[in-house]
Amino acid sequence: MRVGLFLVVGLLLGWLVTALLGAGGVPWVEAALLGLPLGMVFGAICLAARYPCQAAPLATTKPLRLAATHAGAAVISVGIWAFIGAVLSRGLENNDRWAGAAGRYRGEAPTLVIVGLLVFLLAVAMHYLVLALEAARAAQVRGVEARVLAREAELRALRAQIDPHFLFNSLNSIGTLTSEDPAAARRMCLLLAGFLRRSLQLGERERIALSEELALADDYLAIEKVRFGARLALDQRVEAGAGECLVPPLILQPLIENAVRHGIAQLTEGGTLRLAARRVGGRLVLEVANPRDPERTGRRGAGLGIDNVRGRLRTLFGEAARLEIQTAGAEFRVTLALPELMAPAAEAPGAEAPAAGAPPAAPATGRAHA
Amino acid sequence: MPDAPERLRIVIVDDEELARRGLRRDLAAAAGVEVVAECADGFEAVRVVSEAKPDIVLLDIQMPRLDGFEVLELIDPGAAVVFITAHDEHAVRAFEVNAVDYLLKPVDPDRLMKALARARERLARREPMPVAALTAAARPAGTTLSRILVRDGPRVHVLPVESVDYVEAQDDYVAIHAGGRSHLKQQPIAQLESALDPGRFVRIHRSYILNLDRLARIELYAKDSRVAILRDGSRLPLSRAGHARLRGLLHE
Repeated sequence: MRVGLFLVVGLLLGWLVTALLGAGGVPWVEAALLGLPLGMVFGAICLAARYPCQAAPLATTKPLRLAATHAGAAVISVGIWAFIGAVLSRGLENNDRWAGAAGRYRGEAPTLVIVGLLVFLLAVAMHYLVLALEAARAAQVRGVEARVLAREAELRALRAQIDPHFLFNSLNSIGTLTSEDPAAARRMCLLLAGFLRRSLQLGERERIALSEELALADDYLAIEKVRFGARLALDQRVEAGAGECLVPPLILQPLIENAVRHGIAQLTEGGTLRLAARRVGGRLVLEVANPRDPERTGRRGAGLGIDNVRGRLRTLFGEAARLEIQTAGAEFRVTLALPELMAPAAEAPGAEAPAAGAPPAAPATGRAHA
Repeated sequence: MPDAPERLRIVIVDDEELARRGLRRDLAAAAGVEVVAECADGFEAVRVVSEAKPDIVLLDIQMPRLDGFEVLELIDPGAAVVFITAHDEHAVRAFEVNAVDYLLKPVDPDRLMKALARARERLARREPMPVAALTAAARPAGTTLSRILVRDGPRVHVLPVESVDYVEAQDDYVAIHAGGRSHLKQQPIAQLESALDPGRFVRIHRSYILNLDRLARIELYAKDSRVAILRDGSRLPLSRAGHARLRGLLHE
């Protein structure tokens, strides 16, 4: 590649020098004998001009210094080049056939030097162009890589969010059920597999319909219901139309797990998990509330899921989203308010999406509430 | 086998009915054991264990009201406790360090039988559970006690640390004074001191820990001898070192 470029540039310049010498009255064979080697040498010089260009990037070098660098390089390299021409023409004179070659070359040397300077500066400009293109390409690649890394990190975080406690306890329930009620054990296996699969799938996407997030919560709560029995009750109120709103995947799930693990599981008599979704003035408001044991505040592990959700909301929506925690007496409530986003197909007038990036269309799954 | 009881009496403590049923089922297949009770939360466990006096307690860690470690602190240390946890790396480390047996969920029946055999050996050696070491290790590093649990017969009192006025050492016990009442607990005062928030509780004397919020003033009582006067008028002796510690905290 480099060698090919060198040959092409060298030959082109060789032809140029030959033409200049020939036009100035130098006999054609003599012009070619001088022109071709000089062209090759100048080709090498032009290609080597890349290095001063790299050393003095356009963006960060002061204009004066830039001009000085390249003018200096041009004068020195063209001077040396012209001198090589003089030596070559002197060499030609060793043969009687080329007598007077040095004199003829000297006559054309000023033209050669002027054209040489121009070509050198042109080469510098070309190099800057190429460097800029390369930098742009590299930046693009880096950008893509960064996005991929960010997505991977988020996915890892999401996977880590699947509570190991929940997994092992569910497996324990299955273990008991296998001996006393194999059909129930099998149902529980299916529920668990469905939940895991769904949470992985949802985690891959950028935005999902709230109804999908709620369906995941249903799977989760159905499993927890096997564990907790009558201790766990659910009160779910999703306002008409809220299910079609788009939300970041697994934004509710950590809150629901929190409510079960640190709220209802801590009460001997259990309690009701309240889930609500409604649209209020261009915002989607989600609420997860649970009763809690007032004697056990600030237990270890609590709040980790909430911090995680808060962090994700901040990265995704900045100031446009809010997470509030209220503890009124024996109730613990987390309220999320985020910009109301709609899938393009179901877009309501006036519900413009302020978030960056076009959200992928999400099929709104129908839901029936028991 | 040395003189372990012929028939091991077992109490199962787990808030999940399904988990209790699983354990009961596995134990039904074991020889020489009898499940005498099942409990669904920590308070019940403390009451039932103090009444039934079982040989072995199968104790889930994550439970309503009192967790497994809190239950351990409140029951007779003579019973062999086998902890059960689904996933608690912190607790598992504490068990490993203190050579205490534990089971992981899902429970492996073979592993359960081994745990019973080991518990039988522990009972035969009359080796008490390392309660202090376990409860200390169970508290995550950098956290302090948020409540003090005191057993009064079968009942459990929960004292949030902010309600505590001062603690007084009485032989092997501490008397915890809170809101005009005093609760006795079997625990060395140094151990309680190390679990309390050092920014709030100060050891002002060999026998006293004071809640800083309750301090009204310090009075010179005799040459080189001071007393701390509490907001409710109680007077506590201040040792020289205690006075220095108190001054250090107040001037921070």
